[in-house]
Amino acid sequence: MASVTHSSARRSRFRISKRVLPYVLSLPALLVCIGILIPFFTAVIYSFQRYRLSQPWARQFNWGDNYLNFFTDPGFWNTLKISLLYAGVTVTLELLLGLGIALLLQRRSTVNNFISIMLLLPLMTAPALAALMWKLMTNPGFGILSYLASLIGLENFRWASSPDTALLTVVLVDIWVYTPFIMILLLAGLRSLPTQPFEAAALDGVPRSFVFFRITLPMLTPYILTATLFRLLDSIQQFDIIYAMTQGGPGDTLTVFQVEAYLNFFQSTNVGRSAALLIILWAITYILSNIFIKNWLRLRERARGEA
Amino acid sequence: METTSPVERLLRGVALTLVVVFFMFPIVWIFLMSFQTNETILRIPPSVVFSPTLENYAALITGKLQTASGTLDIAFMRNLGNSVLLSVASVAVALLLGVPAAYAFARHKFKGSEDIAFTLLSFRFAPPLLVLLPLTQYFQWLGLSNTYFGLIWIYQLICLPLILWIVRGYFEDISADVEYAYRIAGHSWFSTFRKIALPLAGPGIAAAGLLAFIFAWNNFVFALVLASADKQPVTVGALAFVTASGIQYGQIAAAIVLSITPTLALALYAQRYLVEGLSLGAVKG
Amino acid sequence: MTTLQLKNIVKRYKSQTVLDDLSLDVAGGERLVLFGPSGSGKTVLLRLIAGVIEPDAGRVLIGGEDMTDVDAEHRGIGMAFQNFALFPHMSAFDNIASALTSRKSSKDTIAAGVHKVSKLLKIDHVLSHHPKALSNGQKQRTALARALVGSPPLLLLDDPLRNVDAKLRFEMRLELPRLLAAQGATVIYVTQDYKEAMALGDRIAVMAHGRIRQIGTPAEIYNAPADIEIARLFGDPTINLLEVVPQRGPDGAFVELSDMRLRLPGFGDEIVGKQCVLGLRPETIAFAEAASQGAIPVTVEAETPLNEKTVTLGLTARGREILVSRPAGTPGPVAGPAHIAVDGRTAFLFDKATGRRILPSELASKRNGEAA
Repeated sequence: MASVTHSSARRSRFRISKRVLPYVLSLPALLVCIGILIPFFTAVIYSFQRYRLSQPWARQFNWGDNYLNFFTDPGFWNTLKISLLYAGVTVTLELLLGLGIALLLQRRSTVNNFISIMLLLPLMTAPALAALMWKLMTNPGFGILSYLASLIGLENFRWASSPDTALLTVVLVDIWVYTPFIMILLLAGLRSLPTQPFEAAALDGVPRSFVFFRITLPMLTPYILTATLFRLLDSIQQFDIIYAMTQGGPGDTLTVFQVEAYLNFFQSTNVGRSAALLIILWAITYILSNIFIKNWLRLRERARGEA
Repeated sequence: METTSPVERLLRGVALTLVVVFFMFPIVWIFLMSFQTNETILRIPPSVVFSPTLENYAALITGKLQTASGTLDIAFMRNLGNSVLLSVASVAVALLLGVPAAYAFARHKFKGSEDIAFTLLSFRFAPPLLVLLPLTQYFQWLGLSNTYFGLIWIYQLICLPLILWIVRGYFEDISADVEYAYRIAGHSWFSTFRKIALPLAGPGIAAAGLLAFIFAWNNFVFALVLASADKQPVTVGALAFVTASGIQYGQIAAAIVLSITPTLALALYAQRYLVEGLSLGAVKG
Repeated sequence: MTTLQLKNIVKRYKSQTVLDDLSLDVAGGERLVLFGPSGSGKTVLLRLIAGVIEPDAGRVLIGGEDMTDVDAEHRGIGMAFQNFALFPHMSAFDNIASALTSRKSSKDTIAAGVHKVSKLLKIDHVLSHHPKALSNGQKQRTALARALVGSPPLLLLDDPLRNVDAKLRFEMRLELPRLLAAQGATVIYVTQDYKEAMALGDRIAVMAHGRIRQIGTPAEIYNAPADIEIARLFGDPTINLLEVVPQRGPDGAFVELSDMRLRLPGFGDEIVGKQCVLGLRPETIAFAEAASQGAIPVTVEAETPLNEKTVTLGLTARGREILVSRPAGTPGPVAGPAHIAVDGRTAFLFDKATGRRILPSELASKRNGEAA
């Protein structure tokens, strides 16, 4: 029969370390949090200041001036307009395209599985590098797309160099990179749907359009919403693709929020304006993401509870 | 499941072909271009059949390019090395710090754990420049500007929340009873963590690490803002490459190929894990 | 074997009190069954004894030593979980061995220990398998082997037979007492099955809402239940419960059943006029001749043969249902009017308002009450 001996010294040592243990383990996470919050609050302060890196001596608080000035600043409204337009167009097109491709690949087959794996690749490409690839493809001298455009009568299509077509070009790159993301989510969603409603509909001879609009789509709604919100939040703050492609040009056709803030900071050294722009962008994304996170955490808790 | 008419199957096939062509074409084209001489590239109409050359890769790897006007130094290999160093080191540090933290979050619901998790998650959606621009000044002040050390720490902002979020879910999925059983069998909490929790969460940790690596490798704006030329990874380096004068298009293509191959290869190797990781577990079966 | 004492244990989860000032004394080598419905706190209590959960108040003493602040791995306990809790990435051998590897014994000692226990539990032929290749019965035995292999002085078994099919459960119910007796450890056994409780326990502690309502030997629980609920939980078919109001008679109190008087010896005037519930176990009622003394008329409605007994449903003159149980094979009326005889001394009387059993007056003063 085994007997167990204990020493009281060992007892107390364990109890203290056991209490402290969770905090010690999660210290790095806490540090990262602090590492985010300190610069964040610094930026908030900057946004309330008149601060130019080129004139550090003239730095002073001008409180809400930076924000108020935006109302009368056509540059700001341009930034807002382009950002919203970019986000709206890319997300809409990616949603439609992604849903379409997911429907095409819905059935599990070797070919379909192979294709969905292949379609992962654009998503895994660095967006900045994807922009470079498309930059080369649209090069007027040797770019394959310029050549194809000339074949269909669009001679000297300027792609990203022309104010009229710059937005189209970066939207195209964005679609190329991010449609697979939506496709993956919706495909996983489609494949996880219960089969009974569809079998019942097939037995009853329900027309396919009805099945799609009244059964499939409603059941896919959580996935569609998740995908849309993720992409909206990322798209409205897109930097990599646009900066790599044109650095915001030509002119100010592509000066979305983060690009404009970057240029303000490094080119015009206007820290105050840059910070204020970013705070506004942050506010937009914070509100949207909060709605999303709250609902998502709730759904996860419910799923965990049922498990 | 449903009966499809031949017409429908044809349309479906055409649509899928167009989709595949659209998404695969740029990669294929760049890949081909990297094996072409400048002369072949500039030929109009573009040639599908050509005699391939390795001179572009050779120039990149040796770092020297012979042009009509003399030899040019190309530092692209340094960018590649930076990418490898930064990505591997950042993920390693993030795993070292994040996995135990994820365990603490999963097993001990202590005060503030939900707040920390919420903060980290909500900043996943926040504009990076908001944090990066003030950081340029803090880094200068701390002497961390353009150091690997500083960059690896900042890359934690990308890697750590991802790892925390994904791995915590995997730890939570392990029944607490299994860990209790090992404790009662006479093992310490650390032994339980090492021998039971880690192996059972292994797939999740691998998935998180893989995804963190890809995100770190593909990152552009962090290094753009906080690194100078000698420490920049390929994402920034390739851009500098393109805007520099005298560089030949074949080398640019080769540089892009070298830059995207690691992540594409990893993605193909581990594609199963990526779906779950990408959606942060939002898509659970 | 070792003693176990729980003193005033309190455990709360969020705003709910799961264990409410619970105290328990278990003798060395005793087999104590914790019986109760789900939600009564049995599982929490077990994990508290094991040391994987901490109490909010109270002390846990194992072998006389205060172990409240000691971690689970130092308490010298073996535990088998309801859901087996086997390590999925280890073979059955390694699962069982885990209880020995923490002691840094030699590989040979460990192997010998594992083989000894698995032979005892008849799983030595599947030791190299991983849990997912084992049947439920084999998993359960592996979990048991893991708990037993270290010869721990205190064994905690959390409803180990719950997730096992009926036939195997029946076999194990015969095998387990033998196994546990051979081990010689002190055992705390949790179950929701009263038959299991009565078969395995030296004493049974009936729990509800985080408290122990009654603790005693199986016979005590069965023959002297503390309240209606406990009387109802133990017994198959369920005890007959009839609302009655006792009256005063020439030779003691009595209640009316089918317009006949049923004397309740041992009870005095204190129950007269009180709203009570009469409890009659079906096996204490027998069919009798019409003419015998105290025969109570009933109308037989239906009869159900069960394996070892036959249960008859009868109606009293006022239409109340009574179940009568007799050993299979003995004759009895099938339908129509019949008579039953009830021994008033085997009847229980419960206070309708509180549910607690009313003790016969002669015993009430002697008893010092059951465990609270």
